[in-house]
Amino acid sequence: MSPDETANELVLAFADDELCVGQNHSWWIAVGPFLEEDLAFTSIAQDELGHARALYSLLSDDLDHIAYGRPHQEYRSSHIAELLCHDWTSALVRHVLHDLAEEVRWAAMLDSTWVELATIATRAAAEEQFHVQHGLTLLRRLLSTPEGQLRLSSTLIDLAPKGREYFAGSDSGLVTSGILNTSLADQERTWMKRIDDLLAEFELNVDWSGEPPSQGRYGTRSRDFSTLHDEMVAVLQIDPLANW
Amino acid sequence: MNTYEVFLKKAGKEPFSHAGSFDAPDSELALLYARETYGRRGEGDQMWVVDRANLLIADQDDLAMADRVHKHNDGQLLAELRRSGRGKAT
Repeated sequence: MSPDETANELVLAFADDELCVGQNHSWWIAVGPFLEEDLAFTSIAQDELGHARALYSLLSDDLDHIAYGRPHQEYRSSHIAELLCHDWTSALVRHVLHDLAEEVRWAAMLDSTWVELATIATRAAAEEQFHVQHGLTLLRRLLSTPEGQLRLSSTLIDLAPKGREYFAGSDSGLVTSGILNTSLADQERTWMKRIDDLLAEFELNVDWSGEPPSQGRYGTRSRDFSTLHDEMVAVLQIDPLANW
Repeated sequence: MNTYEVFLKKAGKEPFSHAGSFDAPDSELALLYARETYGRRGEGDQMWVVDRANLLIADQDDLAMADRVHKHNDGQLLAELRRSGRGKAT
C-alpha cells in the first residue's frame, strides 16, 4: 500500500472504532446507573459519533454509505470497540480503555502533515480530556470500595489486553511522511504504561504476554458486530431512500 | 450521594441564576456532572456548584414575619407627588 492508502486505512479504522463505541455507549440512554451518569455517558456517546463523522468525512462525501452501508468485512473496527457490554461494569471499563487509547491516538495526529486530520485531532483531543477525566474519576472512585474492586478488577484485567487492538494495523511510512508523529507500536507502549500505572494504584496487574489481537483491522468481524450494526441501521432500513 | 445546586451566569451583566440541582457522590464528580447536566449546550460561561449541605437556610416562619405592608413600595405615592409638582410648575 502507498502511504496514502495506509493513511486512509488508519483513519477508517479509527472512525469505525468511534462509530462502534458511540453506538455501544448510546445503549445506556435512560438505563444508566443514575440520571447524572446517564447524561454524562451518553453525552460522550454523541462526541464519539461526532469523531466518527469527522473522520469519515475525510474519506467520503457519502457519510451514510461509509458509516452504515459497507459490507461487514469492509469495516476495520477493533473487536474491543464492537463488544456489546451488557453490564455497567464492562461498559465503564471499555470506556476507560477506549478513551485512554483515543487520547494517545489523537496526540499522534495533532501536528499531522494531513492538515484536515490535524484540525480534527486538535478539536477531538480537547474533548478527550473530559472523557478521560470522567472515566478515570468514576473508575478510581469505584475501585476505592471493596464492592467496586470485586466487580471491576477481573473485568479490567480481562479486557485490557484486548485493547491492544486499538493500535493494530499498518503504519508503514506514516511517521516518515509526517501523517503520524508516533508509530502505532510506540502509541501502544504509552497506552499500556498508563493502564499499568492506573492499575498499580489498586495493586492490580495485567498480563500482557498473550498475542495482541488484530483481526478486526483485517476485515474479520466479532460475533457482536452484526447485532450492533443491525441496531445502527434499523431506522435507515425502514425507508432507505428517505430524505433526512 | 450528595445533592448539589447549580448556578449559571452568561456573559455580560446578567447575574448568576439558579439552574437546578442534581446528585453526585463527591465534589470532583459533582463538577463533571454539573457541566454535562446543565452546561453542555453553552447555557452559561460561568458556573457555581454548591453542596446543599453548605447552604444557610432561612426559617420560613421568620420569612413570613418579615413581610409587612409598610415594607412594600409600589411607587404610587411618589408618582402622585411628582404629578402634583409638575402641575404647579405649568
